[in-house]
Amino acid sequence: MNGFRTIVWKEFAQLKRDKTSLRLMIMIPMVQMLLLGYALTTEVKNTPVAVLNHDGGSRSRELIEAVAHNPLFNFKGSAASETDLRAGLDRGDIKIGLIIPADFSRVLERATRLDPGPGGTPSLGALNGEGASVQLWVDGQDANSANVARGYLGAILNQWAMGDLRHRLEGYGMRLDQVLPVSTGASVLFNPSLKSTWYMIPGIAVILVTMVTALLTGFSIVREKEAGTLEQLMVTPLKPIHVVVGKAVPFLIIGIAELMLALNFARFWFGVPFRGTYIALLAFTAAYMLSSLGIGILTSTLARTQQQALFIIWFFLLFFLLLSGFFLPVENMPHWVQNVTLGNPVRWFMHVLREMFLKGSGFTELWREGLAMLAIGFGVFGLSLVKFSRQVS
Amino acid sequence: MMSRSRLLTIARKELRHIFRDWQTLVVVLVMPVMMMFLYGYALNADAKDIPCLIEDPSPSPETRAIASKIDASSLFSVEGSVFTADDPAELFRLYQVRVIFRFPPDFARDLHRPGGAHVQALIDGSDPNMGAIIRNAADPILLGATLDVVGMRQPHVLDVRTLILYNPEQRSALFFVPGLMAVILLMISALLTSVAIAREKELGTMGQLLVSPLRPLEIIVGKILPYLLLAAVDGFLVLAVGRLAFGVHIAGNPWFLAACSLVYIFTALSIGLLISTIAKRQQHAMFMALGATMMPTVILSGFIFPVLSMPLPLRILSHIIPATYFLEIVRGIILKGVGFAELWKPLAALAGEGLLLTAIAIRKFKVKL
Repeated sequence: MNGFRTIVWKEFAQLKRDKTSLRLMIMIPMVQMLLLGYALTTEVKNTPVAVLNHDGGSRSRELIEAVAHNPLFNFKGSAASETDLRAGLDRGDIKIGLIIPADFSRVLERATRLDPGPGGTPSLGALNGEGASVQLWVDGQDANSANVARGYLGAILNQWAMGDLRHRLEGYGMRLDQVLPVSTGASVLFNPSLKSTWYMIPGIAVILVTMVTALLTGFSIVREKEAGTLEQLMVTPLKPIHVVVGKAVPFLIIGIAELMLALNFARFWFGVPFRGTYIALLAFTAAYMLSSLGIGILTSTLARTQQQALFIIWFFLLFFLLLSGFFLPVENMPHWVQNVTLGNPVRWFMHVLREMFLKGSGFTELWREGLAMLAIGFGVFGLSLVKFSRQVS
Repeated sequence: MMSRSRLLTIARKELRHIFRDWQTLVVVLVMPVMMMFLYGYALNADAKDIPCLIEDPSPSPETRAIASKIDASSLFSVEGSVFTADDPAELFRLYQVRVIFRFPPDFARDLHRPGGAHVQALIDGSDPNMGAIIRNAADPILLGATLDVVGMRQPHVLDVRTLILYNPEQRSALFFVPGLMAVILLMISALLTSVAIAREKELGTMGQLLVSPLRPLEIIVGKILPYLLLAAVDGFLVLAVGRLAFGVHIAGNPWFLAACSLVYIFTALSIGLLISTIAKRQQHAMFMALGATMMPTVILSGFIFPVLSMPLPLRILSHIIPATYFLEIVRGIILKGVGFAELWKPLAALAGEGLLLTAIAIRKFKVKL
């Protein structure tokens, strides 16, 4: 136990002397947080849209107004012809083209007109398949953005059309629910304005903590290997487990401090709510760090130089990050890939942090994830310990 | 002024270095293929079978029929139904559903009363992207299902028909293959080149080379040539895997794509050269190449995250990054099948940036000597 304390003390003394590394440890995450926080957005905004209007009536002009005034879209004006619209899409100047057919106003007029039907029941044109139609040409290169933008525009157009219908029906002294007995409303919980930063920033914190703990632990051992001081340590009465755990503890503390820094940055700079409890946060973080520290130690047994260590950890991280649900939800992936992600500690911690931040979940809801992280963590840490001991003896 | 045999000597020496170092080879050959497969399977934007819950305080044949119609849609999958949801937040926390459809206590009767029935969709917005998709889709699906069940026709006031261009099946492979080309070519041209030159500096062998009869320009060009070759090989590799494994076909002219890739590689090499004139040690070169080149490229070029949605300062910053232009060109050629007429602007920007950076690098290099 005494040897273990000596190593911890030695690591801290070394860290304290290395002012540049300390500064980097604080600065780099802050800068990354700031840059990534703004850049990693899955929101779809400023979509450039142009319109090709074949119709001369007033209804099409009202429809265009509704699109042009919507803040989610960047209205680029009218195209002269279909070729012109297509050229705009080809050049990438616009992402969506809206085409209004020649008889739009006339058909819409008929669709919202109440005809005295047979037998005295008035009938609405729209119920007899007489609706107007518009066409969207969507740049589908980025399937995700295209989906969301198309959904938004479709909703705007439908809302306008329903408003138009209600207005017309009121003119006849009727209510909308007479033709449409059900109405829907939507309310969004946890993130009412659907801000991307609220979702991405807890994820970025996971990446930062992983990088800092895995990289620094790996580097710190490989550096001693390179300098030959690891051999010197091993001829002292210290056991390998003392060295490994003694080296891991300072980085565990630094990792937790880093996470707290990221957390406060998220709250006070980006305004992301933290609805969980600190105790749960600390417990889950400690469980996760078994894995990230373990990866660092495992890497140090594989790498001979710091450069190799960097490459190996980079490789690990890329793999883990892509399969963590950071960009796109895990449930969209094929089943066998979803099964692969079960062994990915980053996936679990990503989920835990997001649930904790936004939904305020705690031990009651997340104990399964916690157990999964503990299992993976003990596996990785144990393996790295065995490999390390075998290597130095 | 440049002798071909001396140039080839340097190039051959560098190639031998590359093939002796398994790490570089892994980075060059294995990583791109792995990345392709990872992206191919991990990045799937298609949301389907979103888990949802029904809150139905007065179960009736109508509500059950509507629930089964919602379940039958490809977007939603009904996980179950509850009698009351007093604390919907707790349900979201415990059951990992994304949306709760709340039927009113007297839904079946409300349908035939003035005012109609009102169904509320409670959406878990923590994943904003998913939230937006659900919010846009919930209303039409619910409306269609209800009208179907009560035997009414849906008023078709406005029909929005969508034609998806360039990637009609919405396959993510078509999106990430061009992006991976940009990232991998940059990695080889900027990262590996700058580290290779910095290594010679660090080991002091650069000084030895300089006192040999070799001219400085021959050393640099000779060192760069093998990486140009590697970059070209990797470009082919990405396209070949993209075609064989993911069915990505080049809609435009492949020769034009090759020419544009050369322009991009030239620009990326000039970045590598510039880094190597500044960095004295491998470590510095690596951090500069990763931090100042790779990171911004992955984040700001539109590789994954849409540039248009970023705040203005970042959108301006993205126009300094060569990969932004290259991505536009590669996506233009592979997906849209367009050519020089549509793409001359980004191509000119790319070439201009390459020339500028090379001029600065050569100047700095000469000053150092």
